[in-house]
Amino acid sequence: MKRVLTVFLTIVMLFAIAGCSNSGTTANTPQKPAESPKAEKIRIALVLPATVDDMAWGQSMVEGLKAVQKSMGEDKVELATSEKLGNAVDAGAAIRQYATQGYDIILAHGSQYQSVLGEIAKDFPKTTFAYGTGFTTGPNIFAYDPQAQEGGYLLGMLAGKMSKSGIVGIVGPVESGDAVKYNYGVQQGVAKAKSDVQTRIAYTGSFNDIVGAGNLAKTHISAGADFLTGSSQQAVGALRAVAETEGKYWLSTDMDQSSLAPNHVLASQVYNWEKVATKIIELRKQGTLGGQRLSLNLADGTIQFKYNEKLADKVPAEVKAAIEQAKQDIVSGKVKVELPKK
Amino acid sequence: MEGINSEIIIVILATGIRLAAPFLLAALGEMFTQRSGVYNLGVEGIMMMGAFVGFFITLIGGSPLLGIAASLVVGALMGLLMAVVSVTFKAEQGISGIGLYMLGWGLSGLLFRLYVGAITTIDGLKPVAIPLLSDIPFLGPILFNQNGLVYSAFLLVPISAFILYKTTWGLNVRAVGTMPEAADTLGVSVQGIRYQCLIVGSMLAGLAGAFLTVGHANMYADNITAGRGFISIALVYFGRWSPWGIMLGALLFSMADSFQSMVQVLGINFPYELAVVLPYVITIFALAISFGRVWGPAALGKPFQRGTRG
Amino acid sequence: MNTQYRNIIKQITILLAALVGALLVGGIFLVLAKSDPVKAYTVMLTGPINDKFGITETLVRSVPLLLVGLGIIISFRSGIINIGAEGQMLAGAIGAAAVATSFSELPSMILMPLVFLAGMASGAFWGGIAGWLKTRLSVNEILSTVMLNQIALQLYLFLIRGPLIDPKEVSYGTGAPQTALIPEGIWLDRLIPGTRLHSGLILALVLAILTYLFLWRTSTGYRLRAVGEGPEAARYAGIKVERYVILAMVMAGGMAGLAGTVEVTGVHHRALEGISAGYGFSGIVAALFGRLHPLGTIPASILFGALLLGADMMQRAVDVPAAMVMAIQGLVVLFVVASDYFLMKPVNGARLKEKWLGKKIVTEGGE
Repeated sequence: MKRVLTVFLTIVMLFAIAGCSNSGTTANTPQKPAESPKAEKIRIALVLPATVDDMAWGQSMVEGLKAVQKSMGEDKVELATSEKLGNAVDAGAAIRQYATQGYDIILAHGSQYQSVLGEIAKDFPKTTFAYGTGFTTGPNIFAYDPQAQEGGYLLGMLAGKMSKSGIVGIVGPVESGDAVKYNYGVQQGVAKAKSDVQTRIAYTGSFNDIVGAGNLAKTHISAGADFLTGSSQQAVGALRAVAETEGKYWLSTDMDQSSLAPNHVLASQVYNWEKVATKIIELRKQGTLGGQRLSLNLADGTIQFKYNEKLADKVPAEVKAAIEQAKQDIVSGKVKVELPKK
Repeated sequence: MEGINSEIIIVILATGIRLAAPFLLAALGEMFTQRSGVYNLGVEGIMMMGAFVGFFITLIGGSPLLGIAASLVVGALMGLLMAVVSVTFKAEQGISGIGLYMLGWGLSGLLFRLYVGAITTIDGLKPVAIPLLSDIPFLGPILFNQNGLVYSAFLLVPISAFILYKTTWGLNVRAVGTMPEAADTLGVSVQGIRYQCLIVGSMLAGLAGAFLTVGHANMYADNITAGRGFISIALVYFGRWSPWGIMLGALLFSMADSFQSMVQVLGINFPYELAVVLPYVITIFALAISFGRVWGPAALGKPFQRGTRG
Repeated sequence: MNTQYRNIIKQITILLAALVGALLVGGIFLVLAKSDPVKAYTVMLTGPINDKFGITETLVRSVPLLLVGLGIIISFRSGIINIGAEGQMLAGAIGAAAVATSFSELPSMILMPLVFLAGMASGAFWGGIAGWLKTRLSVNEILSTVMLNQIALQLYLFLIRGPLIDPKEVSYGTGAPQTALIPEGIWLDRLIPGTRLHSGLILALVLAILTYLFLWRTSTGYRLRAVGEGPEAARYAGIKVERYVILAMVMAGGMAGLAGTVEVTGVHHRALEGISAGYGFSGIVAALFGRLHPLGTIPASILFGALLLGADMMQRAVDVPAAMVMAIQGLVVLFVVASDYFLMKPVNGARLKEKWLGKKIVTEGGE
C-alpha cells in the first residue's frame, strides 16, 4: 500500500512540477489583445457548433479556410479550430480565449453566437469577429448570411423537372434559420418547374439525429418521393438511406456530398467560404474590421450550383438550360426567391 | 392525407418493428442489470461504443457479422468497467453511469476521428426474407422481411423470459436484486451475479449500438444514438422489468415514431414538433392508464456489502 | 489530532491518486492522438485557476450546476430519481424569457421579480408533472423525466423558432431560433467587470444555505427526507407521502427552472438554442459528488465547473478533437467516484487487498 502511494505521490509531484514550469510560460502570454492587425501572418480561429467532419455546415467552412490557407500560403495563414461548442457558454469562453491569444479573425460559425460575440467584441476592438447566419453587426463584427433559398430554388427546379413520381421529399432538422430558407427555396423551385409536383417536408426535431434522418428519408421514399434533399449535419443519414434505392436521387446543400454516394447525389448547392473568408481578410487589410453584412448568393459566386459530374449526363440539356436561365434571372434580380414572412 | 392504403400501413408497421430492435436490445440488457440490483445509466455511452466499433470493424473487416461480434466484445468491456466501478468499488451507480456515458461518447468520437477521419459509408446487413413466411399477404412484408438483428432482438424476448424465470441463474439474478443478504446466505455470489448481469446487459447495449450503424444507418457519425440509450432505460420501467412488457413498450414507442414520420411525410398542417413528441407522450400516457402492481427489484441501486444492511 | 491530520492527508492522497489514474489512462488517448499529454494536462488543471478569466468562467458554470444540484438533492433525498433537470431548466429558461420579452416595457423593479417567478414556476410546473404522474398514475419518474426532457426540448425549440422568435430574425430573413434580447434593466449585474461572472452566483449560494436549512431544520424538510428514507414507514408515521413527493418534484423543478432563468438573465440575455448545455446531467453528478448535501454541493459544483472548463480549454491548447475532452471528463468522473470507496471507509482498501491477495490483514484505522 505504502509503496503504491509513494509511486502515486511521485507521479503527482512530477505533474505538479511540470505544471509549474509550464504555467509560467502560458500565464504570461495572454491578456494582450492583438497588437497590429497588419502583422505578416494572419491568424484565424474558427468556433464550430458541430464537428469539423460533419459533411455539412461545419466541414464546408473548414475546407473553405483550408483553401484560403493554400492560396495565400501555409506560412501566411494560421488556423485554429474548436468544435462541438453548440452551447453559447463554452463557445463564449473559446472565443474570448482566442481573442486573448491574439487571433486576428475569429469566425463563430453559428447563428447562436450573436449575443456572445456582441459582448466579447467590445473588449477586443482590434480583433475582427464574424458569425452567421445573422444580421447584427458591430464595429468589428461581420455577419454573414447565406441566401440558401437561391440554391434551393435551382435544386428544386431540377427535382421538379426530373421527378418521375411527382413527389419531392425534404428531410428537415429543426424548422428554423437556414433550413427554413433552403426548404422555402426548394418548394418555390419545384412549383416553378412543374405545378403538379408535390414538395413534402418532414422534420426530425434535431440537428444531429442521423438515424432519425435516415428513417424519415426511407419513409419519404416509401410514400413515393424519388428526389430528396435536406440540410444540417444529420443530412448524411438521409443521403445514405437514399443511396440504398436505385433510381432515387439526393440533392445536397452546404457542400458537395457526392463523394458519399456518387450514383445518387445529382447536384449540390455549395457555399464558397473561401471567397467569404478572403473578403473578410481583404477588408481587414484595408482597415475595415467589421460592420458589414456579407450575403452569400449566386450573384457573386459565394453560392455555387454544381452538378455531380458523374451523373451530369442524366440531366437533359433543356433542363440544364432552364436552370441556367433561372440562375441568370436570380443573379440579375429578375427573379426574387421569396422568404417566409410571419 | 390522400394515399392511405394498405401499402402505407405495411410501411408504418414494418418500420416500427425494425426501429424497435435497438430499444429492445438495450432495454432487455438493462433489465438484466437492474434485476440484479444495479441501474446502469451508461447505456447511451455503451451504445455509442458498440455503434462505432460495429461500424469500424465492418469497414475494415468487410463483414457486418465481424462488426457485430466486435460490438459484443466492446459492450462486455464497458460492462466490466461499470462492474468494477459500481460493484467492486461500490461507487454511486448514478454517477458511474453518467461517467460511463461521457467516456463512451468521447471515446467513440475520438476513435472515429483518429482511425476513420471522415464520414464514410459501409455495406451493412441486408434484409433477409424468410421463405414462405414472407409471402404471407400483409403480415409477410411486415414481420418476415427484416434483417438478422431484428429477428434476434425479438427472439431474445422469449429467451430472456425463459432465462429469467425458468433457470437457476435467472432465479439467482432475481434473488440478488431483491434479497441480496438472503441470496448471499444461500451461497450465491452477489457480486458475481452483478458482474455477469452488467456484462451481459452491456453486450446487448453494444449490440443495440451496432444495430444503428450496421443494421440501419450504414454509417457512423457523432452522437449517432441521439438519446436512444436513455429511452431504452425508460422502457425498462415501462415494461416493469419483464421481457414481454419491455417488448410492448419498445413496439409502442417505435410504432408511434414510424406513424408520426408517415403523418409528417404525407403532409400535415400543424407544428411538426407535435408529431415529433408523439412517441414520448404516448409512452407516458400508456403507462399511466395501464393497471398493474408497481414494484421493482428491492435492492436496486444499493451496493452490497456482506455483513451490512442497505 | 494526529490521526485526524493523517486521515485528511490520506483522503487527499486518495483523491489525487484517482485523478492521476484517470489522467494516466487519458494520457494514453492523448498519445494516440499524437498530442503532448503534459501540456494538455497542464492547461486542463491550471487553466481554470490560472487567471481572472479562468476563475470567473469556472464560477459561471458552477452557478447552474449548483442550482440544478440543489433541485437534485431535494428530489433524491425524497426518494425520487429525477433525471428531468434538463427539461425543467429549459422550461424555466423559456418561461423567464417569455415574460421578459412580452412585458419589456414594465419598470425593471417590477419585471425582474416577475421574470424570476415565471422561470421558477415554469420549471416547477414541469417538475410537478413528473411528481403528479408518479403519485397519481404510478408512472415511474425515470421514465417520465426522460420523456419529459424530450418533450420540453421540442416545446422549447417550437417557442424560440415560432411565437417567441426575435422579430428582427424574421424581418432580416435569417430566422435563427432565438428570442429577442431581454430589456437591459433586468440583466443580472456582472460581479467582476469584463467577465461573465454574474450575481446569480450569490443567489445560488444563498439558495444552497436555504436548502440546507429547509431540509434539516424544518419539519417539512424532515418529512421529505423521511419519505425518501422509506415511504412505507413515513406513511405509518402519518405523513401524506403523495403530497410530499409532488412537493419535492415541484421544488426540484423550481430550482432547475431558476438555473434556466439565471442563464437567460445573467449570461445570454435571451433564450437561444443549446441553453441547457448539459447542466441537467452534470448537475446530477455535482449533487451526488456533494453527497446530496447542499453545502457539499457548493465545492462539488465548482470543481465540476472547473473540470468542464479545463477540459474544453485543452481542446485549444493541444488541438485535440472535442471528443477527447468528453472522454477525459468521463474518466475523471469514473475514477473519482470509484475512489469514494476508500474515502468513506479506509478499511475497504484492506478488504480489497485481502480479497485479491488472499492475505489476512489486521486493520486498524485503515493502515
